[in-house]
Amino acid sequence: MRPFAYTTAGTAVEAVAALAAAGPGARLLAGGTTLYDLMKLEIETPPAVVDVHRVADLAGFDTSGERELVFGAGARMADVAEDGRLRRDYPALTESLWRAASQQLRNMATLGGNLLQRTRCPYFRGGEPFACNKRRPGSGCAAQEGLDRSHALFGGSDDCIAVYPGDWATALVAFDAEVDVLGPGGARSLPLARLHREPGDTPQLEHTLEPGELITRIRVPVTPAGRGSAYLKIRDRESYAFALVSAAVALTVDGDGRVGECRIAVGGVATRPWRVPAAEQALRGQPVSDASARAAGEAAFAGARPGRHNAFKIELGTRTVADAVRVAAGRAVR
Amino acid sequence: MSSPHADVQPVDTRRVDAREKVTGAAVYATDLHPDQLAHAVLATATVGRGRITGLDTAAAEAVPGVLLVLTHLDHLDLQSPGFVMGGGYGVQSLQPLLDEHIAYRGQAVALVVAETLIAATQAAKLVRADYEPEPFAVTLDSPGVERLSQPAVIPLPFLADLDVGDAESAYAAAPVQIDAVYDQPAQHQNPMELIGATVWWRGDTVVVHEGTQNASAIRHGLARQLGIDPANVEVVSPYTGGGFGQKNSLQIHIAPLAVAARRLGRPVKLVVSRTQLFHHTSFRPASRHRIRLGADEHGRMLAALHDVEHQTSRFDLFPMMYTETTARLYGIGDFRGRQTFARMDTQSPGFMRAPFEHPGVFAFESAVDELAYAAQRDPLEFRLANDTTADPVTGEPFSSRHLAQCLRRGAKLFGWSARQWQPASMRADDGSLVGWGVAAGAYPASIVPSAAHLVASADGRIRVGVDGHEMGQGIRSAIALLVAENLGLDVRHVEITVGDTRVATQHLTAGSWGTASTLGAVHAALRELRKQLGADVSGPVDLAAAVGATGREHVESRAETLGPGQTEQDAERARQGLVALAGPEFTGYSTFSWIAHFVEVRVEPTTCRIRVPRVVSVADCGRVASPVTAASQVRGGIVWGIGACLREAGEVDPRYGGWLNASLEEYPVPVNADIGTLDVDFIGEPDLRFHPVGVKGLGEVSMVGVAAAVANAVYHATGVRHRRLPIRIEDVLAGTGLPEPRL
Amino acid sequence: MAATEPVYEVELSCAVNGEPVHVRVDTRESLLDLLRERLGVTGAKKGCDHGQCGACTVHLDGRRVVSCLTPAVQAAGADVTTVEGVAGPDGELHPLQQAFIDHDALQCGYCTPGQIMSGLACLAEGHAGDDDEVREYMSGNLCRCGAYAGIVAAVRAVAEQQGR
Repeated sequence: MRPFAYTTAGTAVEAVAALAAAGPGARLLAGGTTLYDLMKLEIETPPAVVDVHRVADLAGFDTSGERELVFGAGARMADVAEDGRLRRDYPALTESLWRAASQQLRNMATLGGNLLQRTRCPYFRGGEPFACNKRRPGSGCAAQEGLDRSHALFGGSDDCIAVYPGDWATALVAFDAEVDVLGPGGARSLPLARLHREPGDTPQLEHTLEPGELITRIRVPVTPAGRGSAYLKIRDRESYAFALVSAAVALTVDGDGRVGECRIAVGGVATRPWRVPAAEQALRGQPVSDASARAAGEAAFAGARPGRHNAFKIELGTRTVADAVRVAAGRAVR
Repeated sequence: MSSPHADVQPVDTRRVDAREKVTGAAVYATDLHPDQLAHAVLATATVGRGRITGLDTAAAEAVPGVLLVLTHLDHLDLQSPGFVMGGGYGVQSLQPLLDEHIAYRGQAVALVVAETLIAATQAAKLVRADYEPEPFAVTLDSPGVERLSQPAVIPLPFLADLDVGDAESAYAAAPVQIDAVYDQPAQHQNPMELIGATVWWRGDTVVVHEGTQNASAIRHGLARQLGIDPANVEVVSPYTGGGFGQKNSLQIHIAPLAVAARRLGRPVKLVVSRTQLFHHTSFRPASRHRIRLGADEHGRMLAALHDVEHQTSRFDLFPMMYTETTARLYGIGDFRGRQTFARMDTQSPGFMRAPFEHPGVFAFESAVDELAYAAQRDPLEFRLANDTTADPVTGEPFSSRHLAQCLRRGAKLFGWSARQWQPASMRADDGSLVGWGVAAGAYPASIVPSAAHLVASADGRIRVGVDGHEMGQGIRSAIALLVAENLGLDVRHVEITVGDTRVATQHLTAGSWGTASTLGAVHAALRELRKQLGADVSGPVDLAAAVGATGREHVESRAETLGPGQTEQDAERARQGLVALAGPEFTGYSTFSWIAHFVEVRVEPTTCRIRVPRVVSVADCGRVASPVTAASQVRGGIVWGIGACLREAGEVDPRYGGWLNASLEEYPVPVNADIGTLDVDFIGEPDLRFHPVGVKGLGEVSMVGVAAAVANAVYHATGVRHRRLPIRIEDVLAGTGLPEPRL
Repeated sequence: MAATEPVYEVELSCAVNGEPVHVRVDTRESLLDLLRERLGVTGAKKGCDHGQCGACTVHLDGRRVVSCLTPAVQAAGADVTTVEGVAGPDGELHPLQQAFIDHDALQCGYCTPGQIMSGLACLAEGHAGDDDEVREYMSGNLCRCGAYAGIVAAVRAVAEQQGR
């Protein structure tokens, strides 16, 4: 690992100031499960790090609000996953948390840090000698003609098809979450859907935060569809693995058995958290049935662009969305 | 064996070194931190094959705290250790860091030593090498792979083609036939303990602490490499954090570490990173099996042809013995086995738990299942109907074979009689497809020379210094139970030293021969001890009184034992740290361990996820030397079989060479949530023809056949046969006849 | 915060198994390497160094974490507990350690310290309600020997003892 200068911050304001003072390339360190890991691999080589893992004003969360749920960016994944109200009213959110990583990692990782988790593409993490535009711009993308089983069906470019690996953001994007940030220029908010970038021809740029900005809170508008929600995750083993495919579905069911509000996103298959409005549209107003669930899954994957080894994720994803629709509908208040 | 004294407590069969392991007191080789310890880290090659044309270590050397950067420019003056399967000691014959040639991606190009691990790690990343790349081949299908018939290049009797009767004609005439190819990937042992060592010099003696299955190979191999007397090499390995074959010989970092420690005059420790480890030492070679089986209309198997090719490196021929076991599973009169090397540009492959038996039997027992279905038979009945009492290869009897009992008892425990024959006919309440599969397994029983030294003390305790290594199989428990039961002692009064060249020769512990070999020597030493003590040949001994009666503080006995038919020449080979094994063919009989596995799978009908809620396995390993640890070994073997069938594959990008998924994230070994109920039982009949206390091997046979039973269960659940491992979600998705993905 | 000299080493104070520790650490150093290479506390094991195996699991202020991905500087002021700190002062085993022995929940022993620390946390978190829950919440600790069945039995046995 390269040497790095270390400072800590006690508040969010201090953190932003410390980050500015630490100079170009400085990074925020929270749980460390992504950044410190990549620093060990020398894929991340920040000259300075500002430790925010004990910033008290980022740590809380409140799921009792009437208009929105509020999550401090420093809250730990494990703690939020245990929240009783959230488990009851937004099972897709808690499932996206406890089905991620291991309990040890969830005890460490923060909600804000997790949003910016970087890809698990083996050509990215493998370092030299693999070509990777994300790691070394201009070097090429080894995955395009390589072992692309884990790679993206959506949002890829000729320069990068690395999957965004997070579960939490996939669930959040279905719920129209907003992200609050604090930076040298003050505070602002943006929709989570606009936090991540598609790779395009600059895959090294993964998010839209300005230099020096810190995520402070994640807010989720209250919705009755939360109760009727599910996050399903299909992996190469039963636990402690990243998604081959995942699906977040939240819906309400009307008195006549038809789907009312409907929110669907898919994970493990796209270069950023991937909401699928076409699937929502296909399901909205339809009676809950195997056929309508399947149709939603098919609509979700209609525009997929598979590579050499990942075409199976179209059918797998279609079925996973359909399963998630069934589970969510089973939970929905009628 | 129960004690004749009614007041004696029942023998405590729990693992004897468990307390050390649950408290953190067990010290593994890289737990050591002697004074003045320096830390080493490897830098490795980034080309698939080639030549180093330039090497820049200046930046590495400039890192504060760096003490030494060893490369091929430093004239390490090391001899090759020789390949462990080629009359030598090493995991491979190629010793890196001696010249500019790079034979495979991931080969070490520098060993960086520094005051701290942080400095060494940073500096290793700063070593810059330029290469002239050369073309390379890394998969069985790559152009440039060289194929060689095994008997043509290694003309040894036990590696010969196998021809029993006239299999081609018998197959051609058989009314029911199966002809199928089964592909199996390279796999990596991945013991939890990373490969690593702590090495220092004490005067002219080099001291090596490394988790190993073969301390004597390290001793003699390192002596050869350094050009010193083996008496000046001490190897200490009280605990090995899992071996599974990967730690069965001299690793390629030991000699460079010894050089570094000598040049610095300090102890040096190296822990090879997990990613480097995928490239640094052995792995299970990829293999491809064509199986042809013929049967008559009554379900009697008539002929079998098993053609195998497996990968090996350019510089070593890793010999294969797949057909040795598949030829013994059933009473098939006409059998043909052919084995071919595919040489390519990797490090040398080697042994990984059930090295040939797992892949060979996966292929064979899958084909047997296919044949049973082709003959419209129940796969269990089909297997029982083809049982044999004689070794079909030699015509001699097996010293023991209770495979049919394993199958029958397993079927009963599993509830096989409720199975519906028709594939895809059983469903669970939740709609899952249910499949029940069965497969048999076998593993050759081998035995090696062994040595034991007993010291009985007047305080009633006994110390056992013995030839053997503890890597989780529970060898201390087996020894302690034997000694305690033999003498009527409390197991806590038995103190055992293994894996230490200072107390005994330490022959390779592998191939499931460890317990049988070690217990043979301990048993002989116990007989000798009884003589010295003037005790009866059997029955409990009051050790304190008996030692006290001699007027001495201690009474010692020693024994060196050989396997059946072995000679002093074999003992001498063992003393030289070389493999010296006998079996499975002995004069007048053959010996194998046997097992039957019954597996239930559930296939989620939508996503096609395969789950394995329960497995029943019944083993015939002769006498069960240590019931608790033996059952654990079998459970471990089942977990390995599930991993091998459904999870594990070393993935190769042919443009880069090496291994792409070189981490515990990307190489998915089973996790706790993958494993359901595992029921294990033993036949428990001692094999006294093979062994003085009736022990055969267990560690490897426990895995053999599991993958086939899982795959056969997947077939039964879905009606689709999978012939390439691992069976992944996409394979089942594609095979279930559901709509093709829209593209 | 005013610009100051960059800090590459930190004076760290924490407690390891109840003993106060004061040590100067490189900012890059992991808690695992600090414990193993500097403090001689080697119960926590290195199996991957990237949070992919759980062998290095310790408790940080009572919560299980992987010490390989915990920068040592983040342990400032914290209570660190490793497997060496689990048994009683006179060597009396914790019931979970005893249950690991009784259910033979180990083989080679290398992952065992991490399994014990994870198992203790699994119990304390209330995630040992049934076998499947234990399987899920113990899945962050790989055991290559395949002792999973015994591990589940051991954790469940202690959960039932505690439930009584």
